[in-house]
Amino acid sequence: MSPDHLPLEAYATALASLPAMGPARLAALLGTVPPDVAWRRLVRARPGGEHDPGQLLGLGPGEDDRVRRALGPAGAALAGRWRTAAASLDVAALWRRTADLGMTVTRHGAAGYPAPLVDDVEPPAVAFHVGDPAVLDAPKVAVVGTRRCSATGRSVAAELGRDLATAGVVVVSGLASGIDGAAHRGALAAEAAPPVGVVGSGLDVVYPADHQDLWQQVPARGLLLSEAPPGSPPERWRFPARNRIIAALADVVVVVESHRRGGALHTVDEADRRATDVFAVPGSVRNPAAAGTNDLLAEGRPPACSADDVLVALGLGAGRRQGVADRRPAPGPDDASVLEHVGWQPTSLDQLALRAGRDLPTLAPALERLCQGGWVDHSGGWYQRVGPVPGVR
Amino acid sequence: MLASAHSATLLGVEGRPVRVEVHVSAGLPGFTVVGLPDTTCREARDRVRAALLSSSLTWPLKRVTVNLAPPGLRKVGAGLDLAIAAALLAASGQVPAPSLADRAFVGELGLDGSVRHVPGALPMIAALVAREVVVAEGCAVEAQVVGRHVVRPVATLADAVGALRGERDWPPPPAPVAAPPQPRGPDLADVRGQPVARFAVEVAAAGGHHLLLVGPPGAGKTMLARRVPGLLPDLDDDQAMEATGIHSAAGLPLPSGGLVRRPPFRAPHHGASAVSLVGGGSHVLTPGEVSLAHHGILFLDELGEFDPSVLDSLRQPLEEGIIRVARLTARVALPARILLVAAMNPCPCGEGTVPGACRCSTAARGRYARRLSGPLVDRFDLRVEVGRPDVPELLSTASGEPTAAVAARVARVRGLAPGRGTTCNARLAARQLDEVATLEDEAARALERSLRAGRLTGRGLGGVRRVARTVADLAGHEGPLGVEHVSTALALRAEPTFLGGRAA
Repeated sequence: MSPDHLPLEAYATALASLPAMGPARLAALLGTVPPDVAWRRLVRARPGGEHDPGQLLGLGPGEDDRVRRALGPAGAALAGRWRTAAASLDVAALWRRTADLGMTVTRHGAAGYPAPLVDDVEPPAVAFHVGDPAVLDAPKVAVVGTRRCSATGRSVAAELGRDLATAGVVVVSGLASGIDGAAHRGALAAEAAPPVGVVGSGLDVVYPADHQDLWQQVPARGLLLSEAPPGSPPERWRFPARNRIIAALADVVVVVESHRRGGALHTVDEADRRATDVFAVPGSVRNPAAAGTNDLLAEGRPPACSADDVLVALGLGAGRRQGVADRRPAPGPDDASVLEHVGWQPTSLDQLALRAGRDLPTLAPALERLCQGGWVDHSGGWYQRVGPVPGVR
Repeated sequence: MLASAHSATLLGVEGRPVRVEVHVSAGLPGFTVVGLPDTTCREARDRVRAALLSSSLTWPLKRVTVNLAPPGLRKVGAGLDLAIAAALLAASGQVPAPSLADRAFVGELGLDGSVRHVPGALPMIAALVAREVVVAEGCAVEAQVVGRHVVRPVATLADAVGALRGERDWPPPPAPVAAPPQPRGPDLADVRGQPVARFAVEVAAAGGHHLLLVGPPGAGKTMLARRVPGLLPDLDDDQAMEATGIHSAAGLPLPSGGLVRRPPFRAPHHGASAVSLVGGGSHVLTPGEVSLAHHGILFLDELGEFDPSVLDSLRQPLEEGIIRVARLTARVALPARILLVAAMNPCPCGEGTVPGACRCSTAARGRYARRLSGPLVDRFDLRVEVGRPDVPELLSTASGEPTAAVAARVARVRGLAPGRGTTCNARLAARQLDEVATLEDEAARALERSLRAGRLTGRGLGGVRRVARTVADLAGHEGPLGVEHVSTALALRAEPTFLGGRAA
């Protein structure tokens, strides 16, 4: 306890809230000076535009190298901005707010810090979580992928999430739109192993906004984790940092769908740094959202065709595969002949009319019935077959 | 001495009769035009003077006052030149004053005494009540199209003066030329594959439903749109007269034979201003592209690149079929009964229709989608996504159904509309829908599902029923609409991907 009865975590939270405070800078700072000392020195410094970071923080000649490197060439201006921001930030109020939001704050090297991150190559200096960190003791698989996914990708992610959770595996993902959200929804639907979400924004900033339900259910049933302090907006640079935590937590990473360039491939790079196995779900050559995952397969990564492939790699053996009860009403013979022509990849109405050799007035009612029966998904003029576990949106 | 001659001026796309009074009196030589002339009209003084002198006539060295009645109506253009010259010659005793009685004059004078064509001759002549009209040779065809007057085409002022004096005969009017059939434009047989878009084009032509084509660059949206006018039947006499009047007023060249018989096709560039699209202007109230497309097709290519405020100015004309332009001095109604065909990319990169292929950020897609207001999109009862045809289709030598075959079906469906008290299915009033577009039970359930799922709004419901009526008409189906017609109409109303706001 510091003289004003605030724990060190309160000062760490305040330091993490400063502008442009990335994981490397925060780690350098807290690795050099205790948080309460750093904070007091910041606040007491003379107001002004620029500061020498070493002087500002009262560092000795040997100590300030790491901080200086982390701050980069604009260090003096940045230190000045920190000084200004710190002067107007009420640490006690921030700490009360953090507590009111139900968040737990842990520091690297202190008690309560998430165990799988302790020995990581780049551990978050401060971690915020809601939920039960004990769930991290179970085997963990990250199911990640693009936000701009196909309906098939969404459906596969949901199936993987469900089957992995059923086998007792903790599904780690980013709670983003597309694959991430679908994986979590699948895991929640299994009502088995708890899910873990790692997000880029503050735990009180729901992003994307339509995932409000996931932001409530994931911490209620498992754990929601972030290194961003409360109130942090979903800034661009926070997502690669978030991906690194997902890779650090997971025992295996599964990429369901990724474009040739995308955040999911960044997670793969981070997994490679930690020598974590990466699986890729094979996709159609016509699906641009599968180009990145197919590239991963070409690099020699193992394919994940079902949860079993991943479970074997975890040494859990093939899980008890749950027989899926298909509750959908069987399509009539006429509709079935149309369903044959609807691919698992998005198919345009034009392609369907040509393949089925029908004109629109005979094709449209059949498609309407198939959508109604849950056999076909329809979005923006594209039709696509879906499995018995539709990618819950 | 006082003399007067009949003529007309143009207000919007309508002619208004004008009486030109010329008073020649003793006094300081001078020439004044009163009665709200615009600049071109005021300059008549210099043209008339030079034309008189070039034609070996005398310019009276007296005080000349020209009054253009009614004085409250703004007179535009040079069409009054010939009437001013005739009245001036009568007032100065160079032609007998009674020769102007029951004759009207429309034409611009050149400095050499020639009489020239003026834009808007057709509506101007249509507004004249005199028995004879003296017009420039270039206006003779338009005057004959009006058909109510004895047409006296003259090449020069001297011709007109000689005939008015009785010294020579009026030049004979040109023999009416048999109008050659006007071409139907590019043929639908050129379009390979794309059965859905082809069908949408057919439904649009048959029912007059506004059509939005969404697709990546190179999918053939423009190619399809240019084939819509060929599917429409010829304009009937009244429609042709209206369309020809508008084209004449805008100074567009008229087809040989005089009448615009084929539905016009107008494709303004996406840089168009609101005024150029809907018409207007500070004092010359000219028809815009919407009016020029009256009874035809307005094609807006790259709809997403138009200025949003320009597009929103289209909403009222699309609803009412008429544009009311009001200025301080005049109010005009410009006809604008159009079939709107628009084409656009699904997003800035153009690839957004294929799920997962789009390279745009969510924010960029949002910005692009916001350029189209919801009410405008609602006006399109047909929205189809046009994909790039597959390679085998492109290379196939089998041509599609030709325009002539599709046009025959379209003509048959259009022929049903008058019996329902409308001009085409798209203009069926809500009250009429309950009579001619009743629903079978299964069809009603399909609509109910769409409404409940939020795929359809109350306003869209009427549109779907109108389109379904056209689909049924094309299939030769009478009576209540079946589920196949309603499902087809729903399938042709795809919520464009970018408007759905969902990435997949």
